[in-house]
Amino acid sequence: MLADSCFMSVPERMCAATATGTEATRTVERFLRDTERRALRMAELATGNRDEALDLVQDAMFGFVRHYSAREPGEWAPLFWRVLDSRIHDWRRRQRVRGRWLGWFERDADADEDPIAAAPDPYEPGPLARLADREASRALESALRALPLRQRQAFLLRLWEGLDVAATATAMRCSEGSVKTHLFRALGNLRTYLEAHR
Amino acid sequence: MNAPRNQPWVERALELLDQSAASLDAATLSRLNRTRQAALVQRRRNAGLGWLIGAGLAGATLALLLAFGITHHHALSPAVAPLALEQGAEVDVVVAEDNLDLYENLDFYAWLDAEQQDGDG
Repeated sequence: MLADSCFMSVPERMCAATATGTEATRTVERFLRDTERRALRMAELATGNRDEALDLVQDAMFGFVRHYSAREPGEWAPLFWRVLDSRIHDWRRRQRVRGRWLGWFERDADADEDPIAAAPDPYEPGPLARLADREASRALESALRALPLRQRQAFLLRLWEGLDVAATATAMRCSEGSVKTHLFRALGNLRTYLEAHR
Repeated sequence: MNAPRNQPWVERALELLDQSAASLDAATLSRLNRTRQAALVQRRRNAGLGWLIGAGLAGATLALLLAFGITHHHALSPAVAPLALEQGAEVDVVVAEDNLDLYENLDFYAWLDAEQQDGDG
């Protein structure tokens, strides 16, 4: 192969490079297609809004393609989640700053909501395992959204996405010990929250 | 203790998450598809730009090397010429002062040689 490429003319080399580029683009496309739905759900759990989540996934895809798609495919998963995690953190930071400025106006809007109606219903029938799919999904979504961001990310990346501890640490930009701690706390909090829905 | 993933409630939670990801509506899937395609177009553009930058850099490097080679060659040329002269020891002998006198009186020495030969004969 190396010998073949040594004897290639310039146009042949350009064609070979184009073919390799096309194949690489297809591999990137497969990876993104496999990942995008879970990425959207993860962003949606963080933002609580589908449009915002779609914007974050779009930013993450562009960032990943620009900075990391030339790397080995085996390295892609933690790097993609790292970009998305970073975008989610940026979004939260922006929301916090915006919240500081608009706090007064939003306080008025919140006054219309009934806090008792918004609170989780402790008499909601059945635990997660016995709930109908839709109700169970709703309970799980509430539980996940109630988790602190780092705990939720640890749960989703480590257990749902199936990354190992090291890859999860890369994606979350923290130590492996922190991943274990966040995951342990996430499991405890989720269990407590879901138990309350029995 | 069971690994977290093997606990029934965690398994159930992951199952529900899979379902929620699988049951996204068509409009959302379409937007995801457009986003993905746009990212890939950007990748192709970047790859093309990479080729251009690579070719430009290679050209610039070649031009620099050529310029350096030419400049260096000119700088070396005067130094090479005296070396070549020094190597020819015969040239020194020929251009020595005594030998120039010999050339100037060459006709006289030829006549003297002829006289001597006649005298011997």
